[in-house]
Amino acid sequence: MPIKPAVKTINEPARKTRVCREVDVVVVGGGPGGISSAISAARNGAKTVLIERYGHLGGMATGGLINIFPNLSDASGKQHIFGITQEIIDRMAARGGASYPKKADWGTTDPKIVDYYLNANLGGFYIRPDHNRDMKKAVLYTAVIDPEILKDELNDMVLGAGAELFLHSWGTQPIMDGDTVKGVFFESKSGRQGILGKVVIDSTGDGDIFVGAGAEFDSALDNKRRTAWLAFTTWVTNVDIKQYEDFKASQPDKLKELNAELLKSGGYPHFMKGILENQSGVLWYHSFQPQPESSDAMDVEQLTSIDVRGRKRALITYEFMRKHVPGFEKSFIMQTAPQLGTQGGRRVIGEYILSEKDMVSDEVFEDTVAVLANNDNGDISAKHPALCIPYRCLVPKKVEGLLVACRAFSSTDKINQYFNIIPPCLCYGQAAGTAAALAVKGGIPVRKVDYKALRKNLVKQGVNLPKS
Amino acid sequence: MAKNTSVKTIKERARETKVIREADVVVIGGGPGGIGAAVSAARNGVDVVLIERYGYLGGMGTGGLVTIIPLLTDYFGKQQIAGITKEWIDRLIARDAVDFPKKEHWGSLDKDIVRYYFQRSFFMTRLDRVSYAAIIDAEISKVILNEMVKEAGIKVYCHAWGTEPIMEGNHCKGVIIESKSGRQAILGKIVIDSTGDGDTFPYAGIGFEDDIPGNYRISALALCFWVDGVDLKKATDFRKNNPKEAMEMGRKAMESGAFGGYFASNLPNQDSIVWFHNRYANKSQVDVEELTRVEFEGREKMIKTYDFFKKNMPGFEKSFIVLSAPQLGTRSSRRLIGEYFLTVKDMADNQPFTDTIAVFPDLDRGQASLDHPNMYIPYRALLPKEVDNMFVACRAFSSDKDVQEYFNLIPHCIAFGEAAGTASALALKAGVGIKNVDIKALQKQLAKQGVPLPDVAKKVSYKYAGPALVSAPFSQH
Repeated sequence: MPIKPAVKTINEPARKTRVCREVDVVVVGGGPGGISSAISAARNGAKTVLIERYGHLGGMATGGLINIFPNLSDASGKQHIFGITQEIIDRMAARGGASYPKKADWGTTDPKIVDYYLNANLGGFYIRPDHNRDMKKAVLYTAVIDPEILKDELNDMVLGAGAELFLHSWGTQPIMDGDTVKGVFFESKSGRQGILGKVVIDSTGDGDIFVGAGAEFDSALDNKRRTAWLAFTTWVTNVDIKQYEDFKASQPDKLKELNAELLKSGGYPHFMKGILENQSGVLWYHSFQPQPESSDAMDVEQLTSIDVRGRKRALITYEFMRKHVPGFEKSFIMQTAPQLGTQGGRRVIGEYILSEKDMVSDEVFEDTVAVLANNDNGDISAKHPALCIPYRCLVPKKVEGLLVACRAFSSTDKINQYFNIIPPCLCYGQAAGTAAALAVKGGIPVRKVDYKALRKNLVKQGVNLPKS
Repeated sequence: MAKNTSVKTIKERARETKVIREADVVVIGGGPGGIGAAVSAARNGVDVVLIERYGYLGGMGTGGLVTIIPLLTDYFGKQQIAGITKEWIDRLIARDAVDFPKKEHWGSLDKDIVRYYFQRSFFMTRLDRVSYAAIIDAEISKVILNEMVKEAGIKVYCHAWGTEPIMEGNHCKGVIIESKSGRQAILGKIVIDSTGDGDTFPYAGIGFEDDIPGNYRISALALCFWVDGVDLKKATDFRKNNPKEAMEMGRKAMESGAFGGYFASNLPNQDSIVWFHNRYANKSQVDVEELTRVEFEGREKMIKTYDFFKKNMPGFEKSFIVLSAPQLGTRSSRRLIGEYFLTVKDMADNQPFTDTIAVFPDLDRGQASLDHPNMYIPYRALLPKEVDNMFVACRAFSSDKDVQEYFNLIPHCIAFGEAAGTASALALKAGVGIKNVDIKALQKQLAKQGVPLPDVAKKVSYKYAGPALVSAPFSQH
């Protein structure tokens, strides 16, 4: 029986909702942006609450199985991203939970070394062509992390900073007073509750909070971009990699044929060797789900159909490989990502909108709060290996009491795709959390935070900033 | 952690909320109860919407990593739970993704056979006998459940949290959902609460109990996890050849704050992986602060366990934690006080209810189970008193803490769902309220769907005449 879509509304009466906390800073979303927001706000003395929808922190880096911190250096090997990103990697390395090229190898184009890393776990992420050196492949500083250890480490970092956590809690709407955000409503097994805060940081990835706050935003996405697609990530384990590689080397045509057949039957032939070096036999399938028309990572009906389709595709792939490809006979799907891989969506209209022209201007803004390596733009990257991000990209134009520290930062569709991944989001969070604490301490709106004081504080935290 | 508990409230203005669907039946929660409910309602010809908080179906059976569907045969070896449970398992068999004792061994008292299965899995023997329990593949199950709901024509909303019933007096008009699409409403003629925790009860004014003594299984939360890269043969050989050292190691593990033991996966070709199951004491499984605290405690203990095994246990040298459960393992919280309230007294009565809609093998209570081979569930245990069009089809069914302790697992919840979903369709087709459903027609339809049901007219008296019990019961209070 077909179900008819309805267009009516229902009236919900006014109600009183319990307020369970009153704090300085409320961070919504425990992904990369939210984690570093909460950590840096709390470390700077603000009473901070972090609200997370799932039972673990890390967002795409853990629950999305995107366990990669890429582009920490440019192609010449110069590191640009430090701060909390580097701190996480150091802590993870101390627990055997991270792998990355040796520092001495960053920037090298020595083919032997390049080959070594290409062949390592998630190897493709360690390598980029260097446009300044005849497109030779160069080794980057990119870190791959173990998501399960990261979940525990992030818990330690957030609690160690003195922030309080609400897991299994979905921050859904801002509490508004005119144009000022006063807190957040969240849903959980404890029912609907509110948390009040002097500053709210929207780290939902999709700007879930700023929509309710009435902030202006842009959600147009070019359908051909990575950011317009969703990804369904899967780990397959118990693969005999050696056997597979022998087969690939000895019968390349047969493998090509099989891959074509797999594609035809609706499967997905591309994978990388997953997780860390000692975890061989685990494969990482990052299965893009291009959309026929436009994709909308905020539309629950699309999210549902993409999830269903992605899962089916993972199964087709697994059953085909197990049956036909040497090395896969005893393989099985270890897990599918608990969180669907969303890659882009709404972008707030902030005090400054980062655009393509900023990639070529080399402008050092007076409010620069992050420097990012620019590795994926060909000749532009060669001439402009790094990009400055102004604080104003995190400040919505219209709404007070709100910062945006996630991939929904103020930027055009085109530039967002290059600078909306995990390490940039960690940078945005570190800036936003610090600014929020300074605003609370100074009793001033976040919009009015003193840029010099903010930058000085960030440098003290180990963030790499240029002299303006 | 700074404690800053405030007690004030904030006023929310009235609002208009968009209605995105109108259906015959709205099911909240895609765990075992919700799947049973949605699939059976849809197959019986009505419009169904199923709302699920995560991106996949299966609840504890998939996202909770509780990949076990146990207690399907009574101790005579007769299968008592079938229906949609059987269908799930059959579909897994077709994909080589399930493990269970051979049918001819169900109920066997043969010592060698029982020992074999006991060593294979803790779940495969009960009361000195082989018990039919299925160990399932979580990822394949997710796909199978999607296929089942799709084939049945159900409209599913994943990544959507059904938070509140929309009430009008004693009638539930639908459900509010929160998702990335914002706050929206779905209207339905019948609403089925399969949230596991009776999330609708406080909002709908439905009466419930939630007391659980600390020594009950259901009082504890779990954070299950899987360790991959294990050389299981090496570990098993070590335990077999050095039983004393192995036992000592388990003791030391527990002393150091780790868990002492693990379960093998047992699925075909999955011998590189082991499963850690556990229990965490807590004050409430619906208190978000407790849920957060246990996530932290569980994750810390998981790392300690992993470190210990990797360092000390032969076979774990190259192991790694491949996954902690995305869903915390909740075992019980709110329990409905419905039209019939199942109590410990019912666990001693062998006479089926006239409105029996499910039969559950009683296997975990030692001699008490031998005297009471099966538990009967009346239709009324799914019906709240206060609302005229809602079912409770999940572990929050109408039961006291003792009935809940033994009969709130995955196959039980599927059975509640199958009854509630089927009854919904019958009620809508007949144009009657769910409390006036023709019980005989419901039982007939359930039987047609492969649900084993007793002859309720027959007077039953039963006395155990088998050999005396040797093994200890699964749990005792």
